Amino acid sequence: MADSLSSKRPLSPHLQIWRFTVTMAASITHRGTGVVLYGGVFLIVLWLIGAAFYPPLFETASGIVRSPVGFILIAGFVWSLLFHLMNGLRHLYWDTGRGLAPKTATMTAWLVYSAATILAALILWAGYGGGA
Amino acid sequence: MSTKGTSTFIIQRFTAVLLAPIAIWFLFGIVSALTSDYATARAWIANPWNGALLGAFLIIGAWHMRIGMMEIILDYIHSWLKDVLFLINWLVALGIIVASAWAIFHISFAG
Ligand code: HEM
Repeated sequence: MADSLSSKRPLSPHLQIWRFTVTMAASITHRGTGVVLYGGVFLIVLWLIGAAFYPPLFETASGIVRSPVGFILIAGFVWSLLFHLMNGLRHLYWDTGRGLAPKTATMTAWLVYSAATILAALILWAGYGGGA
Repeated sequence: MSTKGTSTFIIQRFTAVLLAPIAIWFLFGIVSALTSDYATARAWIANPWNGALLGAFLIIGAWHMRIGMMEIILDYIHSWLKDVLFLINWLVALGIIVASAWAIFHISFAG
């Protein structure tokens, strides 16, 4: 058995050689934010239908959005859209065959996480009338 | 990647390119619009620029997210459930397109 071919075959990515990389995290986050945005767009359309046809639906949606829970939902949506937008541009850049070197990809992944966080804070601050 | 391969891949990139600039506009206005009262929200949507851009974002977005979700379903679901989820995913996208066009049109023109 020891010298059979099958015992010498390498294992697929293994717990012992696994390590965290920010590029991997960004890839998972892109998918996660895509799902968050899917839900967010759905809820925004309900809000829009309420505004157009059913004031009670609007009031329900608006009540949730203006509650503390609503703040968390909006913050999550805004951060997700910023991340997905900028990481999406990173994807499109890769599609042209550039920016794929590990060093570059690591740098741009950190950049996308930081920029999404800073811009989300600014947008929420301005959107909640912080500037006025 | 997907069953239809290259055509969905290309449409996914195409909708992403279209969405990118509209998403920037959207991020500027959406927080205050969502947190405003009924009359203010309707006035914001009735503005022709806002109505057109919001409609474009939601309609192109619906197409983009349908393809994206289809990829995700293909990656994780391998049973008969896959086809059910595909159908629901289709209906959600179609619903978003029809509902947002209809709602924005109504607010803009039917008062
Ligand atoms: C309406 C808002 C949006 C929604 C609901 C959405 C949703 C999604 C979903 C569900 C996926 C699939 C993720 C995966 O397969 O892991 C995806 C992929 C993608 N999105 Fe979006 N997205 C939105 C906006 C944008 C914007 C503004 C861009 C701008 C660049 C973008 C660029 C991309 C790209 C390039 C991919 C493909 C990534 C890959 O091949 O792994 N998306 N999106």
